[in-house]
Amino acid sequence: MQHPDARGFKVALVQGELLQPTEGRVDALKVLASEDWGAIQLPSADYPDEVAAPLLEQAAEQAEEFHRHGYLLAVVGRRRGLDEALAVYGLERPPSIDPTSEVELREWLCDLIA
Amino acid sequence: MAGVAFVAHCLLNQNSKTHGGARCPGVYSPLVEEVRARGWRLEQMPCPELAFTGLKRFWAVKEQLDTSGYRRHCRRLAQAVAGAVEVHVRRGDEVIVIGIEGSPSMGVHITSSDPDRCGKPEWPEGSEELSGGEGVFIEELTAELAARGIEAPRATGVCHQLPTHDESDMRVRLATLMGG
Repeated sequence: MQHPDARGFKVALVQGELLQPTEGRVDALKVLASEDWGAIQLPSADYPDEVAAPLLEQAAEQAEEFHRHGYLLAVVGRRRGLDEALAVYGLERPPSIDPTSEVELREWLCDLIA
Repeated sequence: MAGVAFVAHCLLNQNSKTHGGARCPGVYSPLVEEVRARGWRLEQMPCPELAFTGLKRFWAVKEQLDTSGYRRHCRRLAQAVAGAVEVHVRRGDEVIVIGIEGSPSMGVHITSSDPDRCGKPEWPEGSEELSGGEGVFIEELTAELAARGIEAPRATGVCHQLPTHDESDMRVRLATLMGG
């Protein structure tokens, strides 16, 4: 029996480090989960460029498929090379935030859909 | 950091599921809770079906996706993931893989199979399609890691798509995989 589909149609490209709960850093995954957003992880800065580049390319490729079907996209945090990777797929950078707190991120996400 | 869990894309983004398959709006929290409770790092793998057959894809069994073109696509994604796995293995990190049981691409111990399925996408309700084995992407990832001289990481799959799914059982399996 097929279940009703529960997707939220909201997808954030997220700086890899913000998906890990670290003292003193915004826990973006916690906020995204509570606000019904999905996450596409961007490669963390501790990967060498030759490892990060294909991961970034794949993130952009997947973002393009969501964009094509009208899903709401956003960028949370920073990732060097993201704009160039998105441009390969004809995408401009979606609305972005580099949050300084979870409250700020939550409010920003709510404003995006208001 | 205790280790690194490479998880199926949809566990952090249920929007990537085949229509009808999303169990929650975005992040599958039971998985995140278990991984975080043990201090493990999350690394999201790409969804191989999303960028190949797209968001409007039909449910599929392994035989429908097991083409040379799809395998080439999976190999390209697997090479990128294997590169990240290799970084962690060389650092001495413990690495595990968490896929999706029942998936034709991301299944670890259970995939889907129906050699007769083809043509107009309709089939009897409740038709059997689950079978033992790995999905196409997991096979390609294992092969790519072997080519790099890296032993296949310990792996399991989240069963939230299966009719027998039991969340507490799943949490125990994840905890066991992470060693505690």
